[in-house]
Amino acid sequence: MTIQIELRGVNKHYGSFHALKDIDLSIGEGTFVALVGPSGCGKSTLLRSLAGLEKISAGDLKIAGQLMNGVPPRKRDVAMVFQSYALYPHMTVEENLTYSLRIRGVAKAQAKKAAAEVAATTGLSHLLGRYPRELSGGQRQRVAMSRAIIRHPKAFLFDEPLSNLDAALRVHMRKEIRALHDRLHATSVYVTHDQIEAMTMADHVVVMRDGIIEQQGKPLDLYDMPVNKFVAGFIGSPAMNFIPATVGDDAKTLTLDLGAVTGTLAVDRSLQPGRKVTVGIRPEHIGIAGPGQGSFDVPVAVVESTGFTAFITTATTPELIVVETGRSTILPGDMVGVRISSDQLHLFDDVTGVRVV
Amino acid sequence: MNGATRVRLMLAIAVVMAAIYLFPLYWMYITALKSGSEVFATPPSFWPAAPQWSTYAFVWESRNMGRYLWNSLVIAVGSVALISVLGVGCAYVLARYRNAWVDVGLFLILMLQVLPASLMITPIFVGFSQLGMLEYPRLAVIIAIAAKSMPFFVVLVRATFMSVPQELEEAALVDGNSRIGAFFSIVLPLARNGILVSALLIFMQAFGEFVYSKSIIQAVELQPASVGLNSFMGPNTNEWNNIMAYATMYVTPILAIFVLLQRRIVSGLTSGALK
Amino acid sequence: MKSLFSSMRDGLGFDIALVAFALGFLLLMSGLPLVYNVVMSFQEVDMFSLGTFSRPFVGLRNYIDLFAQPETYPILLNTLIFVVGSIAGQFLIGFGLALFFWVNFPGASWLRGLFLVSWVMPGLVAGAIWNWILSGDFGVLNFILRETGLIDANIFWRSDPDYSLYAVIIANIWLGTSFNMILLSVGLSGIPGDLYEAAELDGANAWQRFWTITLPMMRSTIGAIIALGLIFTLQQFDLFAAITSGGPNNASNVTQYWAWELSFRQYDFGKGATVSVVMIVFVMLAAVVYVRSTRHEVRG
Repeated sequence: MTIQIELRGVNKHYGSFHALKDIDLSIGEGTFVALVGPSGCGKSTLLRSLAGLEKISAGDLKIAGQLMNGVPPRKRDVAMVFQSYALYPHMTVEENLTYSLRIRGVAKAQAKKAAAEVAATTGLSHLLGRYPRELSGGQRQRVAMSRAIIRHPKAFLFDEPLSNLDAALRVHMRKEIRALHDRLHATSVYVTHDQIEAMTMADHVVVMRDGIIEQQGKPLDLYDMPVNKFVAGFIGSPAMNFIPATVGDDAKTLTLDLGAVTGTLAVDRSLQPGRKVTVGIRPEHIGIAGPGQGSFDVPVAVVESTGFTAFITTATTPELIVVETGRSTILPGDMVGVRISSDQLHLFDDVTGVRVV
Repeated sequence: MNGATRVRLMLAIAVVMAAIYLFPLYWMYITALKSGSEVFATPPSFWPAAPQWSTYAFVWESRNMGRYLWNSLVIAVGSVALISVLGVGCAYVLARYRNAWVDVGLFLILMLQVLPASLMITPIFVGFSQLGMLEYPRLAVIIAIAAKSMPFFVVLVRATFMSVPQELEEAALVDGNSRIGAFFSIVLPLARNGILVSALLIFMQAFGEFVYSKSIIQAVELQPASVGLNSFMGPNTNEWNNIMAYATMYVTPILAIFVLLQRRIVSGLTSGALK
Repeated sequence: MKSLFSSMRDGLGFDIALVAFALGFLLLMSGLPLVYNVVMSFQEVDMFSLGTFSRPFVGLRNYIDLFAQPETYPILLNTLIFVVGSIAGQFLIGFGLALFFWVNFPGASWLRGLFLVSWVMPGLVAGAIWNWILSGDFGVLNFILRETGLIDANIFWRSDPDYSLYAVIIANIWLGTSFNMILLSVGLSGIPGDLYEAAELDGANAWQRFWTITLPMMRSTIGAIIALGLIFTLQQFDLFAAITSGGPNNASNVTQYWAWELSFRQYDFGKGATVSVVMIVFVMLAAVVYVRSTRHEVRG
C-alpha cells in the first residue's frame, strides 16, 4: 500500500507553547485514520498543519510523496470539512459546491454538472438553489461533505464534523461518512474527541495527549492492549476502573486497596513482591455474583438501568463501575461478590502509568 | 394601567421627547420659510405666516451654493475614497490576528484618533505650505481629513471583519484560493454592509468638515459649504432666514440619508465604538 | 525574490503590506505633525519664516510667555468648565434617555436612532442654529424661558461674558447627548436580564436594583464613554466658531479654539503650536483611559 500522508519528526511551536512534539505518522492510501484525544492535545493543530492552515516549525510533511512544508493550502489538493461547516453564507448550495472548481477555471456548465452529480449521491439535489441559512444542521453537514467530495482530493480532513449534531443524527452520519469514504476509496483523517466515533469509524486510531502520540493502531488493539493508563482510560465507555494495588509477598497475588474494602486477586504472571501498581479492569469484565461467591465482596451504592444494561457503582474508594447485560436484581446497599479473571487485568506502573508487561 | 395602555403612554412620551430634542431642527426649517421681518417678530412665531419658498432660490443664487456644495462633495468623496482604500486592508489584518504587534498597531491607531483638528492644523498648515501643497488646497484638505478620520474608520471596519468567521476564509484557502482571492471573493462581500455604513459615517463627517477647510483653502471658489456658511454669518448678521435657508439646503441631503439608513448606521456605530 | 512575492500573495507579506500602507500614511500625516508641533513650540514662527525649517530656536520662551499672559489661566479654566459641563450634561441626560428607551416598546429603537441627527449634522450648522436660538432679543430660547417664568429679562447668551461659555455648553450638550445615549443603551442591554430577576426575588426594589446591579455592571462602559466624551469635547471647535468665536473678550474662549486663533488670526504659529502641545498631552491621557477600557474583545 502506498503511503499517502507522511509526517516525520513534526514539531509545532506557538511562541513558547510546544503544541506538537516529534510526531511520526504514516497514513496509507485508502485508510480512515482517527485522531482522538482530550481538548488541547494537538489533534486539531495536526489536522490544520496537514491542510496548510498552520505552518510546522520543524520536521517533514509529505502528501502523495511530495514535500509540503511551506506549501500553501491551495496547492495541496486536500479537502476539509470544518466543525462549523464553514459554508459560504452569501452563496447558494450549488455555488458553494462549484466554488473550488470555478477557481481552477473549470467551465461553468461542467461545474454545474459535477455539482448535480455529487448532490445526487448525497441527497441534496432538491436543495441546490437554497442558501445555507435555510438548511437544517444535517443538510448543512452534507453540503460541507459534498463540497469536499466534488474536488476528488488526495485526502479528506474532518475537523469534529459531528459535534454540532444531536445524538441520533450523529449515529446516522457516522455510518454515512464511513460509507462515503469506502465508496470513494478515499484517504481520510478524522479528528474527534469522541472515542466511540473513532472506534466505530476508523481503520487506524491515533490517541494524542499534550502534543504527542500516546498510541496508534487498530481500534481493537488499542482497546485490548493499551500501552499506558491514559490510553486505557480514554478508550472504552464506560471508562476502565483503576484500583491502586500492592503485589503480595508471594509475587503471585495482588492486594487491591478499595478504601474500607480490600480484595485479593491471583495473577498469572510473575511480579516483584511489594511493588505498587495500578490495576485496570474494564466494567464489562467484572462479574457479579452472590456474596462470598467471588474473589471478594463489595457494597453496592447505585444501580442504574437503561433497560437492557445495568450500570452498578460500588460504595468503595475508588468506586468501581460494573456493566451487566440484562436486568439486574441487585439493590443499593446489597453486598455482592466480584468475579475477575486474571487475563482481563491490565497492570500499570503506579508512577509512570506505563503498562507492566 | 394595563400593558397596552402603558406601552402607548411610553410611546407618546418618547415622541414628545424626540420632538423636544429635535426642536432646533424644526426651528431651522421654519426660520428659512419666514420673511425677513417675521424672523424678528416678538413673540417669535412657531409657524410661518406666509411661507417664503423664494428664499431658497435667492440664497442658492446669491451665495453661489452650487459651487460650495460641489466643493463639499469633492472633498467628502475624495476623503472617503482615500480612507477606504487604505483603511479596509488595514482593518482586515488587524481583525485577523491577535498578537503583540497587532496590539501595538491598534493602540497607535486609537491614540491617533483623538487628536483634535484644531490642534493639528498648525503643524499641518505649516508643513503643507513648506511642501507647496497649498497650491492644491482641496487635495490638501482631503489628505488631512483622511488622516483624521481613518482611525475611526479602521476601528469600525475592524469590528465588522471580526464578525466574519475566520473558518470561512480557511475553507476558501483549502478549496484552492489564494489569500488575496479569498479576501475578495469571501471576506469582502460578507463585510460589505459594515464597510458601507462606516464609509457613510465618514462621508457625513467629511461633508461637514470645517477647521481644515477654513484654514487651508483661501480661494473662495474652492471652499466647501461649511466655510461658506461661516463667512455668511458675520458678527452682526441679521438675515437669519437666509442663513437658515442656506443651512437647510446644506444639511437636508445628509439628514435624508441618515433617516433612511438610520437602523444600519446605529448598529454599525454601536458594534464598533465600544470594541 | 520569488519567495517575497509568493508571500505577498499568500502569507505574511500580504498582511504586512496592507497594514504598512495605512499605518505609514497615518504616521506621516498624524505622527509627523505631532512631532512638528513640539518642534515649532520651541521656535519663533511667523508669516515670513513659514517657508523654511530653520527658524530661530527660542527654547522654552514660548511656554514661559504663554503662562505669563493674562488670558491663559482664564482660558484654561474655561476649558475645564466646558469639559465638565458638557460631559455632565451629555452623560446625565443621555443616561436618563437610555434608561427610558431601554424599557422597550414598539418603535423605541427607531425613535432612539432619530436622536442621532444631532451628532451627524455638521457642527457648524448646529452652531448656526443654536446661535439663532440663543439670540438675546429674538431667540426662541429666551422666549420659552420667560414664558415659563424661569427668567425675568432676556439673557444675552452670546454677548454677555457671564453666559457666553454656557451658550456653547448648551449647544454642545445638545450635540453629544444622543451619542452618549446610544452607547449607554448598548451597555445597558449587555446586562443579562436574569440578574434583575434574581435581585427582585431577593427583595430589591427598582432603585436598589439600579444602584446594585445596573451601575456596577456598567462600570467599564461608563469609563469608556466618559473618556470618549472627554476626547470629543476637547475636539469641539465648530460650535465656538459659529456661536461666540471665543468672545466676548475671551470670556468663552477655550484652548482648542485659542490655539487656532493664535495661528490663524494672530499668525503667531509658535504660540499656536505651544498651546497645541499642552492640550495634546491632556488628550493623550484621556486616550489611554479610553483604550484601557475597551480591552476585552471576542472574535466573531
